[in-house]
Amino acid sequence: MKIEVIEKDDQYILNHCTKYLARESRDARHDFGQYAPGDERAAICEAWRFPVVDAHWDGSSAAGSYPYNDVTFVYDGRRTAPASVAVLGTFGPLHSPVPLRPLVFAGEPTGFFATTVRVPKGQVHTYKFAVDGDYTLDPVNPQRTVLDNGEPWSRFFTDACTVPLSLSRTERDLLGRLVCHLLPFRLDENRRLIRGVYESLDRASRDEEFPLAYLLDDEVGTVNYIDKLIARQEQHHADDYHTCLKIIGEIIRSRFGGLDPAAAPAELYADLYRQMETEKVDGWDYSRYGSPRFFLLLLRRHAMTGAFVHPKHGGNSGAAGWMYLESRFRDARDGTLFDWRRALESPLGHNTDYRG
Amino acid sequence: MDGESAEVVVIGSGAGGAPLTHTLVRAGHRVVVLEKGPLLRTQAQSPTGLSDFKRDECFATGSEKRITVQGVANTGESYFSSHVEPDLNDEPHVYRDSDGRDRVTIEGYTAQVVGGGTQLYGGVSPRFTPEDLRLATLNASRGDLRDDPGGEVRREARDWPLDYAALEPYYTKAEELVGINGTWDGQAKVPSRDRYQPPLEPNPISAYAAAGMDALGMRRYRTPLAVITRDHAPSGRTVPADTDTVKTAFVNRYGDPLGLKSNAWVSLLAPLRDVNGSGGLDLRANCTVTHLEADGPRVTKVHYRDPGGRPRTLAAGTVVVACSAIESVRLLQLSGLLDPAFDKRVNANGLLGRYFLTHCFGGAQCIVPERSDKSKTLDSDWATDHCARPEWFRAQGLWAGGVIYNNTSDGALPLSLARTWHAMDMDTMWKGYLYDTSLVGNGFEDYLEESFGRRLSVAFMANQVPQRENRIELHPSVKDKWGRPVAYIIKTWHPHDRALMDALAEQCRQILVRGGDVRDVSSGSVGGSVVRIANHVLGGARFGTNAGDSVLDPDCRAWNFDNLYVTDGAFMPTSGSANPTLTIEANSFRVGDVLLDRVGRP
Repeated sequence: MKIEVIEKDDQYILNHCTKYLARESRDARHDFGQYAPGDERAAICEAWRFPVVDAHWDGSSAAGSYPYNDVTFVYDGRRTAPASVAVLGTFGPLHSPVPLRPLVFAGEPTGFFATTVRVPKGQVHTYKFAVDGDYTLDPVNPQRTVLDNGEPWSRFFTDACTVPLSLSRTERDLLGRLVCHLLPFRLDENRRLIRGVYESLDRASRDEEFPLAYLLDDEVGTVNYIDKLIARQEQHHADDYHTCLKIIGEIIRSRFGGLDPAAAPAELYADLYRQMETEKVDGWDYSRYGSPRFFLLLLRRHAMTGAFVHPKHGGNSGAAGWMYLESRFRDARDGTLFDWRRALESPLGHNTDYRG
Repeated sequence: MDGESAEVVVIGSGAGGAPLTHTLVRAGHRVVVLEKGPLLRTQAQSPTGLSDFKRDECFATGSEKRITVQGVANTGESYFSSHVEPDLNDEPHVYRDSDGRDRVTIEGYTAQVVGGGTQLYGGVSPRFTPEDLRLATLNASRGDLRDDPGGEVRREARDWPLDYAALEPYYTKAEELVGINGTWDGQAKVPSRDRYQPPLEPNPISAYAAAGMDALGMRRYRTPLAVITRDHAPSGRTVPADTDTVKTAFVNRYGDPLGLKSNAWVSLLAPLRDVNGSGGLDLRANCTVTHLEADGPRVTKVHYRDPGGRPRTLAAGTVVVACSAIESVRLLQLSGLLDPAFDKRVNANGLLGRYFLTHCFGGAQCIVPERSDKSKTLDSDWATDHCARPEWFRAQGLWAGGVIYNNTSDGALPLSLARTWHAMDMDTMWKGYLYDTSLVGNGFEDYLEESFGRRLSVAFMANQVPQRENRIELHPSVKDKWGRPVAYIIKTWHPHDRALMDALAEQCRQILVRGGDVRDVSSGSVGGSVVRIANHVLGGARFGTNAGDSVLDPDCRAWNFDNLYVTDGAFMPTSGSANPTLTIEANSFRVGDVLLDRVGRP
């Protein structure tokens, strides 16, 4: 496994550092409930942005570039001024750390170190920094995972990732039922429409246009989008999901004669939804979670976003949400009234001027 | 690096800072531009061939964050901002709400990025009318002004210290160098030269607005938009082979990855990189100016934080402050906080931060019978100056008028449609959709059927009455991430503003009602909200001919300083009848000529 290091200029990397890392205040201004008390990352703005996952361009073709991301690792050495920093991770051979270079502003070192490597989309990796030879977790990135040997590692994932990170199988199944009720795709006509569009593509164009398409189902990747969102940008909502899905699972199970909630009829979910709206849910344990309505609104925002977001964020899988709108709204000559492909990068869309 | 000096230092790289920088560097001078935000490059500029801006709805409005600022009424509430808007927990703006309580807001921030607010704006670029610059004279003998029992409107109206003829050559220069498309026929403003590029075909949904304007006898023209539709020689930008693809709904609130939107960076600063072997423009992104230091009437040093946050200083011959009105006023106030002598000079008459202005704005919206593909669009297609004419506003008992134009890119994409559903401002993004819990299953279907590609809105933008009590201060307790007091915005609407907004909203409503077989027509304005400011932040350091009545002289120089200028929208004594960016740019070009007289012409 060879590591391809990508040249990014210091301007690019500093653009991702100053707003988020540079500051005098050590207050926990950015703790929305995702950190334990005293965690220094609470002082950092949008710490989830690290490492920086961006598009990749190989200089010649969209088809050759599209399967990859550029991932930029940043180490903040302003206080400790290390002599050398390297990153070691599962994206490359474990015996050869990739060195980070010092970033310079106006001819002087800033204290930041960085390097950029090419990583395939759809992957999850763990890494550590080697700071003057000592291995350490990324002190900024909130994503961490404990490996089978009990060792904590820093973690990142690339675009269009479908590996489950936050939610268990049971949680995902239940969540799928919940978001299906919120979205229009469960209606028979729309379900046929989405599947029809997808099935109509020949195998080659399916691979070219949607090489990262996830299993196309009624929730069009929304569950996966939420799984990724609460692993990164909205980590502060992970507990809302774990707690409420547990409560909802128990309620549906009891209303469904003790059987698997994922197999319960849609009406049970519709009833639950109506009750959550009023804050009065029979059987809800308010001591564990005070406001079912709050969770419902959270779910609605995430479901809407997950269905129509750019597929790189893990939702709208295979652009199914956009294809639904594209097919649903036609003019008198059967031309589409949502020509999303025109503005978006090839091979996802048809635009070859814009590379994504 | 300390001990550095520069002939001219410009703080801020947007509409106020970039034009004069362009003039000075083209004339052979070295200018250091300090910009708080990042230098985000277009695909063509980027060494990796990838733009730092994306066509991704999550760029315009990101994931949820929560306000953690203590001591305000909205602590704990959610907010959603773009990636180049400031973090509200690191550098909030606080306003005093109508219930007397303080709240943090995202409204009134433009953008922190090279190019400033012009990176995110919709690009609507009309000129002000000649009447906008002489509202004191026009209203001096009026006894018929509505809802003005105290006579404040006449008392507080101010003429600009220059007339339209003096500004006109700079409007023309801005239109040429920035790169604007539109049409002149039908406008109330007459150009000395037509520098517009031709507009693209309007979106079909705009036909309803055009028909309504025609039915009401309103002369209309294609809205001037700061987006190039042809290759633009002054900035070296080129358009795609299929120029119709320039139209995309990723325009308002999005940076443009292809650089076709004429922001101050791609139009005015980027072309300078090759001047004088790159020695002319010294652009320092990610650098936050903390305060200015003066020795008597001369500003001597600019203190700033470099990209790693290290304090640095730069000795300066001439200093131009152009951080957008709220932040410029704040920077001068922060400088005064550290040095009473500075404060005494910059605020001798107590007017610094006073007469803060935004726009009276509002409009109407409806559902049209025929659906259009709103994703193929720019921000607006048709505009009319009908209600900016003195004949119209005099007959209405109003002191001033406003431009009306239709919006085309609003709610054009699925996520923006949902998150702006019944959202009153950027602070309530998403909330309308979320609280409308009927939007599920079949209800969601109906919502899409009615909304997607069928919502049409028409907006007005008009003068706000200047009031001394509308002001920018330093907040007594809230501090930014550098420990400096944040900006505190205190403003209300004058009763005459509300009368004006009601009259113009009714005109917008009429346009839609007369535009065809439309339904669900509603209209409204920002008259009921003190927070909304359309990101048009103006005034607070107004210019004038009388040192006792203004902060800046007619050249936009601070009265009691020899070398300190303010060139963003803060200089405006009245807010004009149109979107302000082009006027800020024209004025900055004008000040650029003034500065050439100081530092030497080639």
